[in-house]
Order: sequence, then structure tokens, then C-alpha cells
Amino acid sequence: MLQYQSEPLDLAFQALADPGRRAMVERLSFGSASVSELAKPLPMTLSAVVQHLKILEEAGLVKSEKVGRVRTCSLEITAMIGVERWIGERKRFWEQQYDQLEAYLARTAPKEADQ
Amino acid sequence: MTITNAAFAIERMLKASPARVFAAYATLEARSAWFKAPADIETLNRDFDFRVGGKERFHARWPSGMISDFQATYHDIVENERIILAYDMFHNGEKLSVSLQTIELRPEGDQTRLIHTEQGSYLVGGMEAVQGREHGTTWHVDNLAAVLEGREPRALS
Repeated sequence: MLQYQSEPLDLAFQALADPGRRAMVERLSFGSASVSELAKPLPMTLSAVVQHLKILEEAGLVKSEKVGRVRTCSLEITAMIGVERWIGERKRFWEQQYDQLEAYLARTAPKEADQ
Repeated sequence: MTITNAAFAIERMLKASPARVFAAYATLEARSAWFKAPADIETLNRDFDFRVGGKERFHARWPSGMISDFQATYHDIVENERIILAYDMFHNGEKLSVSLQTIELRPEGDQTRLIHTEQGSYLVGGMEAVQGREHGTTWHVDNLAAVLEGREPRALS
């Protein structure tokens, strides 16, 4: 029923399976960064970083935006988790209300058959 | 501001006729007997006007200090059959979602199948503002994986 599929989750796990990509996500959790800032502390070439970024972007974990000659990357996942959690909370809230509705209906049920 | 559109459904078999279930929605007294927050909360505003175009509000302060505000408008009411309402949900004054909620009551024997379908626009900007205040915004990969693993996997489907 939910209008995004389970696929993004698989992609997210695959993307996070690589230590280099985890390092990039960790760096971005402190704030957005340009591609070269991301690459600087990592023992890999700029083109390898770009490749990894592409995988992170496809997994919906990171988004990037090119302004002039600089591509700036930021974390997208926080927002996604927040939304999922909130939707889950809404659903749990209503489930709980229906538990209470059931209890109320039982409490107020007519003694004989339900009319 | 990012928007996520999502929908979920809840189905319940209730041991009561559609008329009794509908009645549980139709008056403030009956509705308040079950539509309530689980914790000790302080009710700040409570409005209830159960008719098409009528509004319902449940504005409350939770023990944590968080203030929630449910503001609904009834769009369609057919006695013993269905109720359609749209509601905004606010936390601490931030609008988090706008939702369309449809409740269908179908008789099955002497019971009622209640089908709750909810379609919402979830406003990420508002959510981030709330979460930012409550938890801080820095995420680590370990947390990330834990949340991904621990989150209700397909409870939303």
C-alpha cells in the first residue's frame, strides 16, 4: 500500500555495505560537502569517489547539486527515515485508537444479542 | 521543503453492528470514550462538530511537553456506512502532515468490518524542524543501519 517499494531499502543496504561509502555518508552526516572535500580524507581517486557517490545517490541516501563548477553533496536519508518513522507512528496511533474502540464497544455491548 | 506521499490501511473486525460502530464516532461523549491519547495529557482545546463541513480539534500537551494538534474537517458522512475526513497534524506548531482519512463500515454477519484508508502528504521540512529540536540532527552510520533494520519493515504495507 505504501507508495514506495522495498527496493530502495535493498539499495540502501548494498550502498552501505562498502566501508568507503560508509565513510562518505558519515562525513555528510556532519553537513554537506563538495566532491573534492569528500575525497580529500579518503584513500581513493576522485573518479572512484564519483563512482561511489553515484551508487549512494541511486540508493537515495545522498543527493548532489551542481552549482557552477562545484558539486555539493548532502545526506538525503535522514529525511527519509524521519518520514517513515512518522508514517509508522501515525499508523500505530490509529491502531491504538481502534484497540480502544474495541474495548469501548465491548464495554457498552447490550447484554443480549447485538442490536 | 520535501513532501512524501504515502498511504496506509487498517482493517478491523469489530464485534458490533455498523450502527453501534457509527455511534461511537457520532457524539463527543462516545468518541471521547475511545479516541484519546494513551498517556496523561492535558487537553488544551477540544472541538467536535460531527456533520459535513464540521470541524474537530484535539489540541493537547503531553507529559514530555510536546504539544500536538489534530485539526480535522468532515467531508462526507453516511450514517452506518462511511466517514471521510481530512486532517492536519501539528507538533509544537509545525505542520507535519495533511491526510485524507476514509472509514468504511461493512456489515459481516452480526459484526462490522472497519476499513480505514489514509492517504497523506508528509512534510519533511516540518518534521526535520521538530526532530532537530528534539534529537539533534547528526546521524552516524551505525544509527542509520540500526534504524533501517529496526524500523517496522513492512508494517506499513
